[in-house]
Amino acid sequence: MQNRVSLALLPALITLFTIAAFGQTAPSPRPATRVNGKPNMTGLWQALGTADWDIQDHASQAGPFYQLGAIGAEPPGQSIVDGNEIPYLPEALAQKKKNYANRYQEDPVIKCYMPGVPRATYVPFPFEIIQSQKDILIAYEFASTNRVINMGKPEEAVTDTWMGTSNGRWEGDTLVVDVTGFNGMAWFDRAGNFASDSLQVVERYSMLDANTLKYEATITDPKTFSRPWKISLPLYRHREEHARLLEFKCVEYVEQLIYGPLLYQPGKKK
Amino acid sequence: MSKRIFVLMSALVVAVAAGQTSKSAAVPKTPWGDPDLQGPWTSDDTWGVPFERPANFGTRAFLTEDELKAREKQVEASKQRIEHPSDDQHSPAKRQLDALNSGTPAPEPAPGGRGGGRGASVDAAPVPGQFGEYARRASKQTSQVVDPPNGRIPELTAEGKERQAAMRGRGRGGGSPDSWEQWSIYDRCITRGVAGSIIPVIYGNGLEIVQAPGYVAIRYEMVHDTRIIPLDGRAHLSKDVHTYMGDPVGHFEGNTLVVETTNLNDKMGVGANGGGLPYSEDTILTERFTRMPGNVINYELTVNDPKTYTAPWKVAFPITQEPGYKVFEYACHEGNMSLRNALLANRAEKEKAAEAAGK
Repeated sequence: MQNRVSLALLPALITLFTIAAFGQTAPSPRPATRVNGKPNMTGLWQALGTADWDIQDHASQAGPFYQLGAIGAEPPGQSIVDGNEIPYLPEALAQKKKNYANRYQEDPVIKCYMPGVPRATYVPFPFEIIQSQKDILIAYEFASTNRVINMGKPEEAVTDTWMGTSNGRWEGDTLVVDVTGFNGMAWFDRAGNFASDSLQVVERYSMLDANTLKYEATITDPKTFSRPWKISLPLYRHREEHARLLEFKCVEYVEQLIYGPLLYQPGKKK
Repeated sequence: MSKRIFVLMSALVVAVAAGQTSKSAAVPKTPWGDPDLQGPWTSDDTWGVPFERPANFGTRAFLTEDELKAREKQVEASKQRIEHPSDDQHSPAKRQLDALNSGTPAPEPAPGGRGGGRGASVDAAPVPGQFGEYARRASKQTSQVVDPPNGRIPELTAEGKERQAAMRGRGRGGGSPDSWEQWSIYDRCITRGVAGSIIPVIYGNGLEIVQAPGYVAIRYEMVHDTRIIPLDGRAHLSKDVHTYMGDPVGHFEGNTLVVETTNLNDKMGVGANGGGLPYSEDTILTERFTRMPGNVINYELTVNDPKTYTAPWKVAFPITQEPGYKVFEYACHEGNMSLRNALLANRAEKEKAAEAAGK
């Protein structure tokens, strides 16, 4: 009898033994496609394309530094704006044109400032989504920018910020994020497309397949645009083994640019 | 199956079961079974605890009842100063406001309180009142360094001593710096590093943990670093990559998240805001985040850098969850007027001196 019981227990014991011996160090299994009843968006993502140069249709052109030749040139690209048109109010359109003319001086991203939303999504750097059972973190490689999407009771922005205040909710399998509380200082691209501090961005993230996200954002800003408009683009999962978010702290790369002109230069009058 | 093996395995089953129930019952778990460390946390409660232990405490790690009462009074006083600055004639905020109103120069802030620049002392400074962070309860610890048993950073290696000597005289110190490069990495809003991002300072001691299956992410409020810690047992990056925040990999041991960080660069120290003597590129930082019942994580950081220190050493303190405490965007570089103003002031001084010299 005793023998029979112990034999019957054997598989369970072996399992427990295995867990005890290896459970702590065994690698986690591949990420599930769904987690907690929602599509699992955890992972490293990146946009392809040239939206960061210009979210509208654009032909290629020479870059600002002839020394960089082909690698410094602006690549061509197609619009991520639905219908390609951005409905600027007249004054805002004039400002956009001014921004474009001065884009290689005034684009805030040149200075390693946070890119804002939606631009952080399609600057040419990856970002990581960490999707918990509740809140969702997005960590962007560019300038170590990050934001946490509050999935609980919506909270009003307590102050204006570069990345805004993100309140999210699930609509079926789509993650909808309402972003407000912007400081109005970020641009949409290197071409000088911009908005004011009354900007509202409603983002929609949905899985096209296990390795592709569809990203859509509706842009509303009555101070800048005559009507809401929309962008959409796919985001691709980094599938390289052990791909990870690396460190791109660009502050060091812009100090000469920002602070250089402030330094004392002997013999030079102020 | 022999009786002996059966007995052995039964014992093991009991051990595994007992270990899991006694440890797991009290702390929250994620739906996928990891200990749940999520939410905003702060190291505020250790603010004011000396980094290294004052010599008179010897190997005594905790305050006596009387000493604790004295610290409780200090903690209460800090809280009052910060919550009601205008009520306190002696608060730095009040003094500065008075100075502004009267047009006289504001008194100098306490030395070493801010910056933790290269070469700055890592000892805790008195709490200036104007920034609004304070311990909510008095810590019993006599120091943040808990190992070696005397609570002091171990002796430096010969190389470490050389580097420390070379560092002296550099940094902000006195006078006004000619270039941003003389300011600390923190002053320049680049980062506070792994240790400096959690060691408590006068403000901005918040961090937020978010977990997903296979990952733990930690984002720190001040200078907004995020560490993504994979739990899949992957190898570290190659030796070609050295960065400020390094390459973290982690795993759970019971209710403890163990994070090993390598691939660090040699620009940061284990001190307030990443100050102190910078560690070498060979450094291994091992952190243990132990989820306790209630709103506490016991945090430990072991510094292993044989190039700089003659022995490994350990810092430990609790981090806590507090009602209403949140992590905000800290756009440090974007708003870095302090560095800009200092450089402009330096230029103005130099121009004035040159003018006076008739150049």
